[in-house]
Amino acid sequence: MPRTRTTKKLAQRIDLNYFKRQHPLRHWRFLLSVACPALSLVWLAWYGIRSDRRVYSAGRLSSAHAVLTKQCAACHVTQAGFFSEKVADQKCQSCHNGSIHHATQVFTPACASCHTDHRGSIRLAATNDSSCTQCHANLTARSSSVNFVRNIDSFEGDHPEFAALRMGRGDPGTIQLNHFRHLQPNLLGPNGRVQLVCTDCHRPAADANNAWPYGDPQNQIGGAKDVSKPDALISASSRAYMAPATYAHACAACHSLQFDKRIADAAPHDTPEVIHPFIVTKLQAYIATHPADLRVPRDPSRDLPERSIPADYRLLTPAQWVAERTADAEQLLWRKTCKQCHALVFAEGVALPKIAPSNITTRYMPHAKFDHSQHGLVACESCHAAALTSQQSSDLLLPGIATCRSCHHSGAETAESRCFECHTYHDPAERKPSHSDLSVSELVSKTQ
Amino acid sequence: MRIDRTHKNWTVASLLIFGASMLLYGIYRVPPSGAPMGGTALGLMFGTVGFAFMIFAALLGARKRVPVWRVGRAQTWMRGHLWLGLLSLPLLVFHSGFRYGHGLTAVLMTLLIFVVASGVFGAGLQHYMPRVMTREVTMETIYEEIEHVRAQLREEAEELVAQATAEKATAAAAGVAGSTVASFSVREDEAIPLRNFFEQELKPFLESPGARGHALADQAQSRSAFAQLRTLVPPALHTTLEDLESICEEERQLTLQTRLHLWLHGWLLLHIPLSLALILLGAVHAVMALRY
Repeated sequence: MPRTRTTKKLAQRIDLNYFKRQHPLRHWRFLLSVACPALSLVWLAWYGIRSDRRVYSAGRLSSAHAVLTKQCAACHVTQAGFFSEKVADQKCQSCHNGSIHHATQVFTPACASCHTDHRGSIRLAATNDSSCTQCHANLTARSSSVNFVRNIDSFEGDHPEFAALRMGRGDPGTIQLNHFRHLQPNLLGPNGRVQLVCTDCHRPAADANNAWPYGDPQNQIGGAKDVSKPDALISASSRAYMAPATYAHACAACHSLQFDKRIADAAPHDTPEVIHPFIVTKLQAYIATHPADLRVPRDPSRDLPERSIPADYRLLTPAQWVAERTADAEQLLWRKTCKQCHALVFAEGVALPKIAPSNITTRYMPHAKFDHSQHGLVACESCHAAALTSQQSSDLLLPGIATCRSCHHSGAETAESRCFECHTYHDPAERKPSHSDLSVSELVSKTQ
Repeated sequence: MRIDRTHKNWTVASLLIFGASMLLYGIYRVPPSGAPMGGTALGLMFGTVGFAFMIFAALLGARKRVPVWRVGRAQTWMRGHLWLGLLSLPLLVFHSGFRYGHGLTAVLMTLLIFVVASGVFGAGLQHYMPRVMTREVTMETIYEEIEHVRAQLREEAEELVAQATAEKATAAAAGVAGSTVASFSVREDEAIPLRNFFEQELKPFLESPGARGHALADQAQSRSAFAQLRTLVPPALHTTLEDLESICEEERQLTLQTRLHLWLHGWLLLHIPLSLALILLGAVHAVMALRY
């Protein structure tokens, strides 16, 4: 009879105490279940024994703070009796000034709430929008009035139009300039017909030393002395902002200040108080070498009807000749040449006029920053399209927020649109200068 | 555990939680803020919920150790373990803001990935393997009994061969577990092929069934070997050969069962220890993150 496997036979061959024996699989599972957590604790203990708390770090420090990587206590403060070892503002302010944002702000956030480190090589100033919108989404101030838009959630969302455009005040500049006419083809230039482009007149200060096609290197007098609200951000080495266009750089080659056909030199581009003695000196020098010109022939075109006809010649003294020629020259300058661009004010009883301040605005958005050099890939007229048609100096040629938003918006491959891109919280002018007496070797030994 | 229609509610609930979490994360992250996630209110919520799910998943082990606890059905716990454990991964990734972390957090993320991946792998095995085992291992026994049964099979085979090759053997199978041997009578020399086969092939196979390259480990080769042996021994021993072939088959099935069992439960050697380490380090991380 062949071998059979009945239930009874199968049951009989089972060792009923099998569960009392530890099976290898269960045994190893138990061992590993003890070993793994134990190893984890040993790993943490190893760091603990060496007093190395970097294991709890959320990430690498920013580049600016990288030197403090092993010095947790440089920022984290143990508060006596408390468990917390969070970053203290005092520690930040031992190196950074961190000036307040606004005199009437209702509260000052902790440094670390905006500038969160341990995120790798990032720029700590690149803060989250929520750092700003925690106030600006519903702006209140300690004083009763708020001079800014109260509800701003984001640049893309409800950020208002730029204040300069929103107010509709126009450009405060007093220089008469017709952009439309200057950008026409075939303008009469110093050496023939020309086509002006934006950079012929508008350049950042750092590029001012390059050759100007329509400037006059001899006539360097007459920089923009009366720029409205001169700004520390517009330094001579900056390429962020356009320097005010000056006569010497942009106008002199075409708009000469010639005041008398007998004098080769043009008047300096300066105040009437400087120009007047210049003219007198030049004329005195001329008449001293040309005494024949004291005999002045009559100009029939200036004869008045019903008046006796003057003699054919007048013989003048040098002083008389200089006075008459000076009056003619100043008449030409004050009433025509200068007036073409400047607003002149003639006061009662004062011989020389006053030139109104040019009021050239270098930064139209004083609460934001902009860098032209970072936008070099874009043609000027692409943003300042109004310049092509503007005929009035009062036209504000600032591009609107919609132009900015066409590139600066959310998305994977778009330009940054967070608040910090244009706005700063702390006043950069109050930045604490960094200075240390440590040598490189001392610094290295301190950080290891 | 099979993942079937009984998981529908858990699946739907898990998808809803995942969808809601993704929505919350999306609202927070668009436009991209670049800020760290873990310390924000939303990040802390993701971390807390994710860690709570991990704790719940880990409690399955305690629930299994004390089955008399009246804290819900074991199947419900297992489903919760599967789905909430799986959900903990996306929630904790949201908590981290899709950053791998540094130091302890990097270790935690690595452990989390391994634990969830091994869990998913194990759940897949638990879904398919029992059916494979039922189909392929018809002579299945209690896993822990396999070595004991194997010893009995060796003993049974030796006894069968001893009876068959004994001179002028006339025996009844009384006392031989699992088989009944008919009375027979053969000459001693006629049983020599059987004895040789036993010594050279069968016995080594039964003593180390897992050894590679053994002819009897393969069903087709085994069948061929026994068929050849039948031509060499008298018909009176054919019943013995059938019994030995049956023993070989059972041995092969036990080997297969062992292999399948290792697949079915071996992943737990990774899953459980790493889970415990994850829970422990996760708790340390929670405390230390609040501290710093």
